[in-house]
Amino acid sequence: MEERIRRIYVPMTETGFYILFCLQTPQHGYAIGQQVKEMTGNSVLISPGTMYGTLSKMEKDGLIRFYAEQDKRKLYQITALGQEVLKTEISRIERLYHNSRGECIYE
Amino acid sequence: MSKVKIHVFSIADYEEEEIWLRKQHRQGLRFIKIVPPCFYVFEECTPEDVVYRLDYQNRSASSDYKQIFQDYGWEYAGNCSGWLYFRKPASEVQQENDGEIFSDTQSKVDMIQHVVNTRMIPLLVIFFCCLIPNWVRSLNGSLGKVDYFLMVFFSGLIVLYLLLILHCGRKLMKLREKYRQE
Repeated sequence: MEERIRRIYVPMTETGFYILFCLQTPQHGYAIGQQVKEMTGNSVLISPGTMYGTLSKMEKDGLIRFYAEQDKRKLYQITALGQEVLKTEISRIERLYHNSRGECIYE
Repeated sequence: MSKVKIHVFSIADYEEEEIWLRKQHRQGLRFIKIVPPCFYVFEECTPEDVVYRLDYQNRSASSDYKQIFQDYGWEYAGNCSGWLYFRKPASEVQQENDGEIFSDTQSKVDMIQHVVNTRMIPLLVIFFCCLIPNWVRSLNGSLGKVDYFLMVFFSGLIVLYLLLILHCGRKLMKLREKYRQE
């Protein structure tokens, strides 16, 4: 992973993380928003400007790619680089979680 | 029946513009379009509380961009010099978030940065590379009538530009601070 990508995406915003996570299955912006809403019990709500901006930025940086168009909606899918960023984030969050519970993971 | 109103909003006054458009709609004037630089065209309608929001993209809206806003219940109302206008009846705003087009600080700050890069910087370039040299040249001219006229003309333009740059620069910085503290 390039230094630039690491600097921008590690750590990630909650919005960014959920969008990337959801794009392991190809889908469009609004569907991602709905899924995130459900997954978080209405806690993480992503507005359209933020959704569109994040998707454009992630596409430009190669984390996701255009998959198909469906009724004027663009479907996106995660790329290998996106998977790598996601994996890095997940291990960081796991470490954070364990440490927050006082569980020692490095013996 | 359509009606035209004149109002000046700078690139840093988009929040005031949103409030103003909402007020017009509440008084029965539905926003149709803007004829640059400052003519707002409305059509008479039943007064209604409608939320207006502006996004800055510096290009016309692509169909997928408009679609994503439509999916979220926003009607695309038009564009003018890089700004895109959206509206949604206030009755459809259930949670605070439904009435916003940005849900995090980063995307609001990104929009301001985009405005600064594509509008403020060109303004500064024109100011320093075109206005100032012309003004200096007009000062050094012989004292003919034309030179005098040019000198007054460029001095006036410089004052206008300075006021505009100061207003927009200060306001955009203040907005960025406000978003970061939200």
